[in-house]
Amino acid sequence: MEKIMVVNGSPRAPKSNSKRYAALFSKYSKNGTSYFNISKTNHLALCGEMEAFSHLLFVFPLYADGIPVTLLHFLKTLEQNPPKNKPTVSVLINCGFLESRQNDVAVDMMRLFCKENGYPFGSVLKIGSGEAILDTPFRVLVARKIRKLAKGIEKKEYQVLKVSMPLSRKMFLRASTVYWTNYGKKNNVTKEQMETMQIEGPGEDEKKTKPF
Amino acid sequence: MGCFGCWTKTPGKCVIRDDAVNVYPKIAKSDGVMHVSRIKYGGYDTVMKTMLERAIPVQQAFIRILHGETHHVQREVLPKKAVIIAYGEISDEERDVFQRLVARNARNMNFEQYRVIFTSESQLDETVQREVAKWKK
Repeated sequence: MEKIMVVNGSPRAPKSNSKRYAALFSKYSKNGTSYFNISKTNHLALCGEMEAFSHLLFVFPLYADGIPVTLLHFLKTLEQNPPKNKPTVSVLINCGFLESRQNDVAVDMMRLFCKENGYPFGSVLKIGSGEAILDTPFRVLVARKIRKLAKGIEKKEYQVLKVSMPLSRKMFLRASTVYWTNYGKKNNVTKEQMETMQIEGPGEDEKKTKPF
Repeated sequence: MGCFGCWTKTPGKCVIRDDAVNVYPKIAKSDGVMHVSRIKYGGYDTVMKTMLERAIPVQQAFIRILHGETHHVQREVLPKKAVIIAYGEISDEERDVFQRLVARNARNMNFEQYRVIFTSESQLDETVQREVAKWKK
């Protein structure tokens, strides 16, 4: 039976949605799973731990259209410190956009890492609308796909899966606006403040003309 | 860093007050950018990738529809002509992934035009100088 190492590659791993996705995976996996965050200081320790596993699941968010730099740093360390027995690598990725296909490039980066470094590639689950979906009634759709991912890995029947909120783009836009507005409210920041077009506050010209 | 502070706590400002806060406003105000980076696994290597991730304050949390896809609303970000110089030992597969990455970046970083140039490390300085010279014309 596969023994699965679940590695969270999110830069905010302890508070991340990826952690919640990883927990769902562990819940549905009949294999033994062990969960790890990537921190700035534990790369070598994780490379050492990997020796004990036959399967490796990376769980992470899409960042600037690719894999997060936290994960990139770790992959570079892993490249220099590989385990003797290389596990099969699967990927569970989420993005905040509606279209799960926006994850495709990041998944292909993971495929390239595996190809260049001799890791067999396993399954993929691409989640769209992944920032909020776990707190909506559509959570059940994600849970179903994660269960399918876990079952496929258990049987070594590798597959590419995807899931997102079953909404039109316009409906998603409205729903995401409500989501982010409420997120700001928790910090006492209004929607109007969040919509500022200014970057790092007013520019020099605006500062000069600002009335006393 | 994924804290969403620049979207929901201090909109338009990164909560980490280091050199990045001097760089991303300049990127936003520029109508031309040149990214120079080694390629790793079909993407930018860590230095450039870190900068791109730290530039998230130039976007809002809110979503818009662009070219039939959902993307973040941009703040005051000028449309740009981008030259992307990618170097290293780059396989055909890596080139393909990187081209698709930059095509995605174009939507999220407001590139109105872009060119991707692949080169070797030994040819890098020459390539950059040639491209910079084109800007000076």
